[in-house]
Amino acid sequence: MLPVTRINATTDDLAAIQAQLESMARQMPAMVQGMTAVLETSVPVSLAGYLSAVRSSGMKVVGVSGALLEADAAGLGLPVLPADTGAAKPARGAAQTASVPQSAAPETVPAPAPAARTSSRLIADPIRGGQQIYARGADLTITHQVGAGAEVVADGNIHIYGRLAGRAIAGADGDTQARIFCRRFEPELVAIAGVYAVAEQLHGEWLGKPAQVFLQDGTLKVERLD
Amino acid sequence: MTKIVVVTSGKGGVGKTTTSASFATGLAQRGKKVAVIDFDVGLRNLDLIMGCERRVVFDFVNVIQGEASLRQALIKDKTFPNLHILAASQTRDKEALTPEGVEKVLNDLRSEGFDYVVCDSPAGIERGAHLAMYFADEALVVTNPEVSSVRDSDRVLGLLASKTRRVERNEARIKEHLVLTRYNPARVLKGEMLSLEDVTEILAIPVLGVIPESTAVLNSSNAGTPVITLPDADAGQAYDDLVSRFLGEDRPLRFTTVEKKGLFSKWLGG
Ligand SMILES: Nc1ncnc2c1ncn2[C@@H]1O[C@H](COP(=O)(O)OP(=O)(O)OP(=O)(O)O)[C@@H](O)[C@H]1O
Ligand SMILES: [Mg+2]
Repeated sequence: MLPVTRINATTDDLAAIQAQLESMARQMPAMVQGMTAVLETSVPVSLAGYLSAVRSSGMKVVGVSGALLEADAAGLGLPVLPADTGAAKPARGAAQTASVPQSAAPETVPAPAPAARTSSRLIADPIRGGQQIYARGADLTITHQVGAGAEVVADGNIHIYGRLAGRAIAGADGDTQARIFCRRFEPELVAIAGVYAVAEQLHGEWLGKPAQVFLQDGTLKVERLD
Repeated sequence: MTKIVVVTSGKGGVGKTTTSASFATGLAQRGKKVAVIDFDVGLRNLDLIMGCERRVVFDFVNVIQGEASLRQALIKDKTFPNLHILAASQTRDKEALTPEGVEKVLNDLRSEGFDYVVCDSPAGIERGAHLAMYFADEALVVTNPEVSSVRDSDRVLGLLASKTRRVERNEARIKEHLVLTRYNPARVLKGEMLSLEDVTEILAIPVLGVIPESTAVLNSSNAGTPVITLPDADAGQAYDDLVSRFLGEDRPLRFTTVEKKGLFSKWLGG
């Protein structure tokens, strides 16, 4: 089974939905591109418009779920899937004016334990602002620094033997066991399996120190490593 | 073998043109045959700083579009006959710069036997900046000791490592040099500016020179004489060191710490 992200519309304002998805795609392009999604909604919304907004962000819609969307699904060739049975995770950050997806955390259905990763990718150069690295289906090891404005993404773990001043996104295909390790923790953003935190939320005693990031009960935890 | 050196930064107004002018002049002072090209189409600046703005007939775009020959457009420096300036067009728009056109001009400079071609990049990371760096063998990355400038330089270093002909052809990577300009040790001490150590830690490339903040720079620009030609100016001396280091000489960094003014210098009005 593929890891699936459930997107729940909390508004029928298609422009707002589109705007939020676009901003998310801009922030985490490597993650959003090709992300598999199931559409849900809390308010009546035009499925056709909702669908095209989500698709234009680069996500792949594999079905819908919930009574409000069921009726139109068949006409659009989409299967109706059962509701998520996992306990709903609280959205991180303030949910803005009824928006989609919940402002910070697309709810990822816990994936079945992924097959052990055999591949890994090693990078020995600094990752500069504006650069983006994606280790698909692999761990990512960087023996240099990740500069401000740079983005490193891996489906597995991310190890940075230098400063993390940019963005690091581990478990990009939904692996909630993935972790981020770095020698100096000053990130703009960290994310694991779709749950993310930005610099503003990351002021702690670990700032500037060796640290690791992991998910515990659906919440991001940062821990010092020294 | 002609070496193409781009002077680039990302952020505007950090001292690229000032550096291009002094760097090119310093190489010429040492007997090298040098051409310095202004890639900042629409904003002519280099010819002013080089003091040849009243002798511009044809420019870079004229050459690219075949309206003038390279020889017609190259302006010979008054002091150093082995130094040539190719001015930017003030009237054309940026679209006039094409990869093929730039490549042709650079190839012609090669066959004319130039030792160095210095490309003064415009600010930003758009077309002009991209073309200025695309054919380069070495890069002077000009940075001021402040966060936004350092970030932009980091971004430019990323482009140098990915969006150049050397990368596309799988050749040895561009040699990168850090030029930290407008450095003011007193303000660094007060914590108002990043230190040399801060900047080198973030950018992780070797330092070619540290140029102090200096009133001599503006004065020399206004006079149309690159500051490197003023042996008494601190910034001129720093650029002189920079050029020597570029050519392999070992010179210690100067002007990176606060100079204590001795009693005598005060009395003597120094
Ligand atoms: N070391 C210095 N000390 C004091 N002023 C300086 C110094 N270097 C440059 N300047 C001043 O900073 C301003 C910008 O310099 P310059 O034109 O060389 O920058 P630039 O990076 O080429 O700008 P642009 O991005 O617009 O092309 C000028 O007024 C110049 O006199
Ligand atoms: Mg300039």
